[in-house]
Amino acid sequence: MEIFETIRGIICEQLEIEDEETITMETSIMDDLEADSLDAVEVMMDIEDEFDIEIPDEDAEEFKNIADIVKYIEEKIA
Amino acid sequence: MFNTKICDILDIECPIIQGGMAWVATHELAQAVSNAGGLGVIAAGAAPVEVVRDEIKKLKKNTDKPFGVNIMLMSPFAEDIVELVCEEKVPVVTTGAGNPGKYMDKFKSNGIKVVPIVPSVALAKRLERQGADALIVEGTEAGGHIGELTTMSLVPQVVDVVDIPVIAAGGIADGRGFLAALSLGAEGIQMGTRFVCSTECIAHDNYKRKIVKAKDRDAIVTGRSTGYPVRVIKNRFSKEYIKLEKEEVPFEELEELGAGRLRLAVKEGDIDNGSLMAGQISGMIKDIKSCEEIINDIIKDAEKELNKLYSFKRGE
Repeated sequence: MEIFETIRGIICEQLEIEDEETITMETSIMDDLEADSLDAVEVMMDIEDEFDIEIPDEDAEEFKNIADIVKYIEEKIA
Repeated sequence: MFNTKICDILDIECPIIQGGMAWVATHELAQAVSNAGGLGVIAAGAAPVEVVRDEIKKLKKNTDKPFGVNIMLMSPFAEDIVELVCEEKVPVVTTGAGNPGKYMDKFKSNGIKVVPIVPSVALAKRLERQGADALIVEGTEAGGHIGELTTMSLVPQVVDVVDIPVIAAGGIADGRGFLAALSLGAEGIQMGTRFVCSTECIAHDNYKRKIVKAKDRDAIVTGRSTGYPVRVIKNRFSKEYIKLEKEEVPFEELEELGAGRLRLAVKEGDIDNGSLMAGQISGMIKDIKSCEEIINDIIKDAEKELNKLYSFKRGE
């Protein structure tokens, strides 16, 4: 749950979303939050810095929603 | 002469790169720019592999200087073009319309220098991390597909956060622009529109003359509503397109309307119905001259301008 909350915090800050509750595990950054590909790059960079991991673009392309990102990070830092 | 890190990295005499303009940047233009001491670039655009292979082979036959291939990442053939440039051991690759991160290892293992075009600070940082050799930072003054920020604002912001050298693009066509780019921290420039108006460029004369005739406010932006803004010279087609955008015609319809229009302008010279992609600096371009003259004049003028700046300095 902690990972999800951290990611949610990053997304809210990057995309200026006021109500955290609008973001769930099922949310897609680009489809649901009106973010463009450059916004997505900013979110990925912040996630990389926060968890001290590297997310190659071919992996990032596979993320469909927040749940995918959470699962990816769990596996990386396990 | 101006010698910067870009000259060393790309093994060229003048830190001037030619933009990878679809349909326009063929082996003829690339050859002229490379032989004049800059970096000529073949644009892969949305062309199939065989066409691009042929261009590369012709260019190799006509110059022994370094050159580049621009890969438009949204092309349906992008992956095949990546294979091709590796096979052909192209010295430099520039990329546009996306993030080339996933191809980076492949380029590097084939000894290719990678210079992506970036429209934002975050993507610049990410591509440096992934191993880009330099970055082309392109402002919204440019022609064709554009980003939001201006060259003046974006170049120094990127220069401040990356260690690799930056090439400024968008709104540059003479020695003053070249010197301004270096003042902002760039170590080279990329020009598109200026090289369209060269004798060696194969674009139709009507197209070149339209740029030469253009005034400052003639370069307008179409497609803002679709999320894919494109800067073009105002004509019958672009005015109609903007009108339809305002009427909120569906994206698919607009896309269909725009298909094939660049080719129509560049190849057929249909300046009423074609898409005349060109930058804001079109209004300043008043002549059609050889690529060698373009490059030599820029260097000569930049030196003159630099001396003028010195003369402004007080004291000592």
